[in-house]
Amino acid sequence: MSLFIESIGFGLITASVLAIAAVGFTVQFGVTDVLNLAYASVMICSAYVAYLINQLGHGQSIWLAMVVAAAFGAVVSLVLNKYIYAPFQRRGTSPVAVVIVSLGVLLIIEYLVQAFEGAANVSYTMTQGATLNFLGLTLTVVQLAIMGLSVVFMIGLHLLLRYTRFGKAMRATAADRVLARNCGIRTDRVITLACLLTGALCGVAGTVFAINTGSFGATSADLFLVLILAAVFLGGPGQPYGAMLGALVIGVVTEVSASVITADYKYVPAFVILLVVLAVRPRGLFSAGTLN
Amino acid sequence: MTALRRLPHAIKVGAILAIGGILLAACSSTTTSTSSTGKYPLVIADLAPFTGVDAALGGFYEASCLAATKAMNEAGGVLGHKLTCATFDTRGDPADAVPATNQMFATEPHLAMVIGCTSDEAASVVPIINSKKMVMFCMTGQSQFDHVHYPYFFRLVPPDLAESYAMVAIAKYYKHYTRIAMAFGNDIGSQTFVQPAIQSLKKAGITLTANVTLDLTATTFRTEAETVVASHPQAIMTEALGSADATFLSEVKQLNGGKMIPVIGTSATISPAWFSSVAGAVGASTLAQNYVADNLVTATSGPEYTPFYDAMQAVKNQVKSLDAGSLQTLLSGPGAVHLFDGMNLAALAMLMAKSTNPSVYKADILKIGDGVPGAVVVHSFAQGKAELAKGKAIRYIGPGGPTSFDSYHDSPGIFQVDGYQANGNVVVLAGITTAHYRAVQ
Repeated sequence: MSLFIESIGFGLITASVLAIAAVGFTVQFGVTDVLNLAYASVMICSAYVAYLINQLGHGQSIWLAMVVAAAFGAVVSLVLNKYIYAPFQRRGTSPVAVVIVSLGVLLIIEYLVQAFEGAANVSYTMTQGATLNFLGLTLTVVQLAIMGLSVVFMIGLHLLLRYTRFGKAMRATAADRVLARNCGIRTDRVITLACLLTGALCGVAGTVFAINTGSFGATSADLFLVLILAAVFLGGPGQPYGAMLGALVIGVVTEVSASVITADYKYVPAFVILLVVLAVRPRGLFSAGTLN
Repeated sequence: MTALRRLPHAIKVGAILAIGGILLAACSSTTTSTSSTGKYPLVIADLAPFTGVDAALGGFYEASCLAATKAMNEAGGVLGHKLTCATFDTRGDPADAVPATNQMFATEPHLAMVIGCTSDEAASVVPIINSKKMVMFCMTGQSQFDHVHYPYFFRLVPPDLAESYAMVAIAKYYKHYTRIAMAFGNDIGSQTFVQPAIQSLKKAGITLTANVTLDLTATTFRTEAETVVASHPQAIMTEALGSADATFLSEVKQLNGGKMIPVIGTSATISPAWFSSVAGAVGASTLAQNYVADNLVTATSGPEYTPFYDAMQAVKNQVKSLDAGSLQTLLSGPGAVHLFDGMNLAALAMLMAKSTNPSVYKADILKIGDGVPGAVVVHSFAQGKAELAKGKAIRYIGPGGPTSFDSYHDSPGIFQVDGYQANGNVVVLAGITTAHYRAVQ
């Protein structure tokens, strides 16, 4: 029973990291129509940028480094969309082909990171803070901070989408880009800002991912990308609230199944749930429309 | 430009492919020009993971290759040939390793031998290399090679079975533990330790408190770590490369109230990549205080060690992953030591056989490794070459110690207990006696 309760806590940490990544991924997909698999490699690049900042001098604060990583992720995401994906889309390349392009970009970035940083894994210079035991959970201060950060980002995104002109413009662009443009929305500008926003989330996700794993390398996020996709499709592609719920389900089910079945197959139950949900609701749990 | 646009599409595609081919050839990792002696250089292929979770292995083997070939070339090379190293990436995956192996044979007409072939890919590549009649020194302990005869296969590292016994002997006789947990990666190379270790622990009267498998691509192991911590082991036997052990052990430490549970690692954990990764996650001094591993007895000083040390120092700036700390760790790592010996054995065998044909020189590897009556003991390629030139029989003993090949070309050696210092240097803590080893077999 103790391990079961603890595993729920572990699942919440995984879900927190996953939620930041999945929400950024799904909003980017909703606005740009690109299922950007290179998102995982931008995460890792951002994590490395945070590492370089963290290693300056006698060790800089990882939270400061995260801000730089977010800026880096924003710029790289914008560049990828503007100079790689958008030109393909303008030429009428099919969405599936653009996914393959993004897979190619993923591999290129990973190999470049490995070429520059080497094959060895690296870790941030930081402490995890005190270990706290409460309600049967065992969490460190840093893990609680990651969970808090995730909640703040989720609330912030909710407020942005619901109550700001930019949020409404993003939702309109995601729903129907042509109609939005005809209604006077500057969709190109919306896409640019959305890429910056989701890229920043990608940078933050990369940094908290690396904090959470304790050690990371160029290919560390490969399996995590599969979890991101699972969370996104479970909630419904293009659905930020769906991605939040999907991340929660995937994160918690994965860790709980490791405690009650066996750790060897801990990802299996999460993906069985994904298959069942998609069989019943092919467009995911939140299927009303994109970015609603 | 207008004329270009008028060219048929097929010609344009062909031109692009041709230019691509030229560029690829230009970027090739080896030099194919003839040497100053007029003879083509012989190629030693490093067939190992350069990407994927075990990516660090290929780079470290390359360091050993560069060191060995530099020393050989400074001594005049082999039969008028200089030697060079070429790298081929298996990605640590048996399926990816097969095309890499085929590419190696297709692009290297002057291949002299192969090194690397780790447990990740050995099962798929050893039969291919053997069928091509090419000598290989493989870094695999897989038991499937214990009793299958591949004439061109040589191994200076112990079978995993033997290493499992050595780890249990450390737990029983060196540390006096009675409760052990196991956490091995889900890759082929790590999983081969599990069953022999379980049987050996039983024979030693040690309780196995938990046995978890770590998915090397996973990003967190908290539930596995909690399973281990809750079973209250005195130590954890482990090998999980990439970032897995770093993440797992840092989570164990966190869930154990900030206190690290001691670790007994395999010889593969004596590597700069493993040390830097785990030390970064749990703290270097914490790791140094709580880590031991089995390792084959290797020289750390003396005439066997000096040529190896000098050669490694000479190439340390040529391998990106090899900073000063990494080099110090690598000097005791099996990947560097035993492959260095393997390359020297093969090169000396070529001289002895007066042939670079593996079918001709492979028999002399055994003679030079095990020695024949009256053989002069040499500790470097240069010494061996000089003695062979005088017409003498030689026995090569390098930093990995004397070899003793069995009929399957395995030279398992004897074990010792190694540990880390906080700066990553490897220290010898004790020997493992034959009696202790046999008691847990």
